[in-house]
Amino acid sequence: MNNLSNMIWIELRKAIRSRMPLWTGLGSLFMPLGMAFLIFVAKNPEIFQKLGLVSAKANLMAYSATDWPSYLILFAEIISAGGFFFFVMAISWVFGREFADGTLKDMLAVPVQRSSILLAKFIVVAAWCAVLAIIIFILGLAVGAIILLPGGSSSVILHGSAVTAITVCLIIAVVLPFAFFASVGRGYLLPMGIAVLTLITANLMMVVGWAEYFPWAVPILYSQGESSLTPLSYWILFFTCLAGMLATYVWWKYADQNR
Amino acid sequence: MNLPIETEDLGKRYGDVRAVEHLSLRVAEGEIYAFLGLNGAGKTTTIRMLLGMIKPTTGYAKVLQTRVRIGKREPWESVGYMVEDPHAYAELTVYENLEVARRLHPGAPLKAVGQIIERLGLAAYVDRRAGTLSHGNAQRLGLAKALIHNPKLLILDEPANGLDPAGIVEIRELLLELTRAQGGTVFMSSHILAEVSRLAGRIGIIHKGHLLQELNTDELERNRRRRLLLRVREVESAYRVLIAADQPAKILQDGVIELKNAASIEHPDDINRLLVNAGTPPTQLMVEEEELEQYFLRLVGMDGGLENE
Repeated sequence: MNNLSNMIWIELRKAIRSRMPLWTGLGSLFMPLGMAFLIFVAKNPEIFQKLGLVSAKANLMAYSATDWPSYLILFAEIISAGGFFFFVMAISWVFGREFADGTLKDMLAVPVQRSSILLAKFIVVAAWCAVLAIIIFILGLAVGAIILLPGGSSSVILHGSAVTAITVCLIIAVVLPFAFFASVGRGYLLPMGIAVLTLITANLMMVVGWAEYFPWAVPILYSQGESSLTPLSYWILFFTCLAGMLATYVWWKYADQNR
Repeated sequence: MNLPIETEDLGKRYGDVRAVEHLSLRVAEGEIYAFLGLNGAGKTTTIRMLLGMIKPTTGYAKVLQTRVRIGKREPWESVGYMVEDPHAYAELTVYENLEVARRLHPGAPLKAVGQIIERLGLAAYVDRRAGTLSHGNAQRLGLAKALIHNPKLLILDEPANGLDPAGIVEIRELLLELTRAQGGTVFMSSHILAEVSRLAGRIGIIHKGHLLQELNTDELERNRRRRLLLRVREVESAYRVLIAADQPAKILQDGVIELKNAASIEHPDDINRLLVNAGTPPTQLMVEEEELEQYFLRLVGMDGGLENE
């Protein structure tokens, strides 16, 4: 336990001092701010007449978010897709940097279990993603309040918050296996490339109707309130998360480490 | 006998490439063992196998009497190491990097960071980000990380790389202190024989994955080739005098006479007397010893060195 707290201290210190949480935080702010901008454009067409496509997209956004319940669903959906990228970025950095920066070797022949080192990394990544999600969500609520969305009540906000919180947990679960890709790829490129491929595949699965069995599509379906999700969908997601973490552990423990 | 490092038929293969083969080493307690080889000879692969970072394809390694198994946490509590370039977390300060190293060794006390900073002369850089350090200071930080938990065994890959002469002397003294005062053992790799010959008690020479020779410093001195070089005004007459006296002399291209037999090398005064009595006194008489690097290159078959009989 003492070892784990030491490892968490190390991972937190590395993350905070790297300013990566700051950059991912600033980057993810574009989600609520972008939404606010598009809704603002839709509500003020005379100002943005010359914007063409932006105006069309803004209208689409405005029609999707006409009141608090629909706004919160749209918001959870955006987090499930956009947040996913920022979360993958966080995990790629936490794991991949040890390979890319050549610092991995200093963690290998030490009297600390590799499971403690890895668990600390997973905990810090999950905490990092949760904090990002909370910041995005709070700003999203502020945006909703500023644009004076109708239909807001404490129960609506509470329900929307719960949906977003569960969506974020589901995304974190499907992001954790990317630690394995960062380790096998010994850096950042492989996990980021697979993240793009995963989102494309998730969309494809939605088109062909198998999305509920594709773990990376489950958070998106959940955020949309899809009834197609079954207990099996959640089991698949759970086992994907577990398998990814286990594969990362096996890789760190048994693979030859030449860097 | 206590052997902090012991390997038996240790080998590593990558496909058809045999990085290390049939390596059997014994490093005794309190000794500084230098593992010498050219780049790509198999030094780092051996060190990584000793540290359980890569699996051997044949044989085994024991470190501090514990058989090394990949992914295990024994016996690392008493082992300090530095492999290849000394990487550190660039965004953390020197102090923070050392605190990270301390926390990776739960047995190391809180004061260990302050002590190692003082010992390695890093006080002026404590608050500097590791990414801004010069190569020499980064090397010093790497050594500080390796020493922070006061290890019994230190495994160092090219520890003097990038250090200035003062830094090299400092490291030498530090390692000597570790072995003499604290009874620790050092296993270090290098590609510079002259550097390790001043420090190591025993030297193992590895080439293309094979251990070519193991020798102590006395043997190293004995194995180095020597020759007696003579300069005279009348080369031909002096040469004839030497041949007549059964000395295996040879005239080199620059008119210098070379003698490589043991008697001439051990007693140049006899040669001097012979030439003076014959009326062809030498103007210069010098016993030349093979350079360490030349000896090393000759051993690995990359240079003729001083040809001897």
